[in-house]
Amino acid sequence: MALWTRRGLAGATAALGLSALPHRPARAQGKSITVTALGGIWEEAVRTCFAQPYEKATGNRAQVLIGSPTQWLAQIEANPARPPIDALVTIPDLAIAAVQKGLVERFTVEKTPNLVHTPEEFIAPLDGHGVLFDYGVAGFTFHKGRVKQPPKSFAEFVERTAKGEWQASLPGIGYAVTPIMLIWAMAKALGGGVDNVDPFFEAVRKMGRNVSFWNSPNDFENALASGDADIGIYFDGRTWAWSDSGASFAGFLNPSEGGSINAIAIQKPKNASEEAWPYLDIMLSAEAQLAFAKKLNYGVTNRLVVYPPGLAERITPWQQAAFPPYAEIAAKRAAWVDRWNREIRR
Amino acid sequence: MRRADPALWLLRAVVALFILFMLAPILVVVALSFTSAGYVVFPLPGLSLRWFARMLDYAPFLQGLRVSLQVALGATLLSVLLGVPASLALARSHHPAALAAMTFLLSPLSMPMIVFGFAALFFLSRIGLGLSLPALLVAHGCVCLPYVVRVTAAAYRGLPPALEEAAEVLGASRAAVLRHVVLPLLRPAIAAGSLFSFLVSFDNLPLSFFFGSPGTNTLPVVMLSYVEQQFDPAIAAISTAQLAVAVLLLVLADRFYGLGRLVGQEGGG
Repeated sequence: MALWTRRGLAGATAALGLSALPHRPARAQGKSITVTALGGIWEEAVRTCFAQPYEKATGNRAQVLIGSPTQWLAQIEANPARPPIDALVTIPDLAIAAVQKGLVERFTVEKTPNLVHTPEEFIAPLDGHGVLFDYGVAGFTFHKGRVKQPPKSFAEFVERTAKGEWQASLPGIGYAVTPIMLIWAMAKALGGGVDNVDPFFEAVRKMGRNVSFWNSPNDFENALASGDADIGIYFDGRTWAWSDSGASFAGFLNPSEGGSINAIAIQKPKNASEEAWPYLDIMLSAEAQLAFAKKLNYGVTNRLVVYPPGLAERITPWQQAAFPPYAEIAAKRAAWVDRWNREIRR
Repeated sequence: MRRADPALWLLRAVVALFILFMLAPILVVVALSFTSAGYVVFPLPGLSLRWFARMLDYAPFLQGLRVSLQVALGATLLSVLLGVPASLALARSHHPAALAAMTFLLSPLSMPMIVFGFAALFFLSRIGLGLSLPALLVAHGCVCLPYVVRVTAAAYRGLPPALEEAAEVLGASRAAVLRHVVLPLLRPAIAAGSLFSFLVSFDNLPLSFFFGSPGTNTLPVVMLSYVEQQFDPAIAAISTAQLAVAVLLLVLADRFYGLGRLVGQEGGG
């Protein structure tokens, strides 16, 4: 019996192992394209709002690759002649790096007709080699029960945090977009800018131990739920999604100086399938973007999009937010990280 | 009646606290997977299986689990097929070349896996394997190999050469000695190395991260991407399922082989 069961176990193991063998190397070509998506609800929205309309319109197949922008950029760099990805979503820093390395193609109205409905502000940062199609705004997320009167500006936030009115939690230097959503945004609001971030470091010194830092969005949500923090700098869309999931105590407010826009870019790698252009055009269309915004509570960039009541109050208009100089911030990033490690050391 | 030794009680208390310290985070994750809340909060407001339903409903979790199992099995097989012969050839040799080869085989242990994964992506892409299951198997196999080599080589060094000499004196060929003497005696070590290999591959993120494609995304990669965007208790549910796979493996190993033999507390053979 033991022998039989051992053989049975070995057979099952071998069957499972052998089923792994017939895979072909992943290559996006022909009538099948590979598109990327961040995980969870993001991936589900990509499938519903972009991949399905694309498949219906073209008869092609859109395979969705879940992962993260760093991984995808490395994969494209490793295979520039045969990129395994046809349509890329990424963060501005990495999008700029892809442009500088000559890895991506220029968008044109001929290839993506919906480009005409995208404001120049979302095309210029990548010099046309990609488009910012979706954005979140980093403002004040607070516990409505513990912070009855949230601050209206960054300056007020710093003053009241320094006085100890609440425990604040800010993004730490281990989080990828902290240089944008915190260092630059706060420095600018307090009179500095990309060439002068002294006001930010001065503000952190002033707030002292009344501020802590998170390095993963989940840490911030846990801190707010557990009472370790009362208020912090976080994204509007994430706050609303969290609130909808049951954390109804979470509120969001865009600072009067304007929270920073943290956008997601779309790009097409050079040598990727031409069949990706219709997919990217759908990503830029008003209909698909509205469906995407409804699922994620994030703003989109097509100027024809009209948000329905309920959603409109949640989306921060990009005109009321601060538009970061992504390329200049990317150039300063290393110096800011170094200064953070020397001065803040947390 | 013997008086209780205070030092012994202190030791027991420290050990108990240590075990609690090690297990508490895991127990919290398992408990969270049964929460009725829509977000992560502790203590639990109520009990529910909704997050296990969500785990089954979210297709990438199950696809990732299937790929992870395939890769872990394949990489374990690969590392055993390469590692056992290499161990037999190198373990008892004192030649500088053998020592260098052994160090080389163990070297993936000393390298940060994220660096290894990044390098492997560029190397395997350059030789045409690109993002594929074979590429993932090769990369995982390299990292699993040291676990098989280390355990098997140590066991082979501890095996008295006289056993093989006796078999040869009695007329056994080298192949017969290998089949009827050496391999049966090394079986616990090979099984232990295989188990370590499987678990190392099954949980691996830094390597799999670089080789993700629509057909080769492993569970840890899917989990990382999910948790970065959506921190709900579904991630606790899939972690619990992943833990259950590891525990099941240990139970099977115990059922079919005996954990005591695997960890060398009982005689092999």
